[in-house]
Amino acid sequence: MRSQKLFKGSLQTIILRLLENNDKMYGYEITQKVKELTKGELQITEGALYPALHKLEADGLLDVEVSKVENRLRKYYKLTESGSKETVNKLAEMEDFLRTMQHLVNPKFSL
Amino acid sequence: MKLTESQIDELFKFTRKHYVYHYDVQSELVDHLANDIEEIWVSQPHLSFQEACEKSFKKFGIFGFMDVIEAKQKQMSKRYRNIMWRFFKEWFTLPKVTTTIILFLSILFFLKIQFSEYILLGTLFVFVVFDFINQFRNRKTQKQKKEKIFLLETMIGETKGGFTGVAVINLFNFVNLSDINFSSLEIHWCIIVSLTATLFCVLFCVIHYIIPQKAEELLEETYPEYKLAKSL
Repeated sequence: MRSQKLFKGSLQTIILRLLENNDKMYGYEITQKVKELTKGELQITEGALYPALHKLEADGLLDVEVSKVENRLRKYYKLTESGSKETVNKLAEMEDFLRTMQHLVNPKFSL
Repeated sequence: MKLTESQIDELFKFTRKHYVYHYDVQSELVDHLANDIEEIWVSQPHLSFQEACEKSFKKFGIFGFMDVIEAKQKQMSKRYRNIMWRFFKEWFTLPKVTTTIILFLSILFFLKIQFSEYILLGTLFVFVVFDFINQFRNRKTQKQKKEKIFLLETMIGETKGGFTGVAVINLFNFVNLSDINFSSLEIHWCIIVSLTATLFCVLFCVIHYIIPQKAEELLEETYPEYKLAKSL
């Protein structure tokens, strides 16, 4: 498992991106999906996931839906209209950041 | 292996034991723990329910559910402020703005009457005492009645109580204010005092009466699970 610190700041972007691809998801599903997509390389900690989800909800980027599944209530998160717009911005920001990091870590010197 | 109804109840107790007192936060955590326990049982079927539960809880880190509670409180405070602002604004748009203007003018004229400060102080005192008695009665009945308490519900009640508390503390400041003879003040000072008093009254009315009266409606609007949870 890679260092958690490296992706901590990108947690909101990861959540938004996942919700862009899947109509609605619940907390546990998000942790499992990240684990599956990264083949266990990245693991979202529960203590970080829910605060991030609640923050996104408070900012109006996520909407919630609740249904009874088996013998318990399940809370699903989905993108709002402003959430979809923000996803595009955040992804562009992330790509920019990755490019900059690439230049820093792997600089190409030219004469 | 799936969790039974009684194990789900155990998980609710487990969250309460770890300082999660509100149903909206509890239910989300219970679903998470339940999913994780079921997943743990796939790879380690020999683990007991308690062991699997502790194992799942450890994944939340050393602060346990604290970060989740804190984030939820922040989210709900924001929501409450928005609700408060929504109802506060109503008093400055038609048709309610007429009531606000009448209130403002009444306070303004009232201040011009001699000994108005004593009448004001007396009214406030009587009001605060009655409110205290009322809140004490309500709290008693509420404690007996409710099991599933939502965070926003607590916030509505606590802010209401907090406002009375602030009024009580400031009662002594109002006593000091009674040294001022309002009726001899210049008109611009009277306008400032009346305006402040009007804003205070509107805010008081919103926090104290309007929001608690519409609590049920607001809870349904905020929590999609509200009706569902009540029927369980």
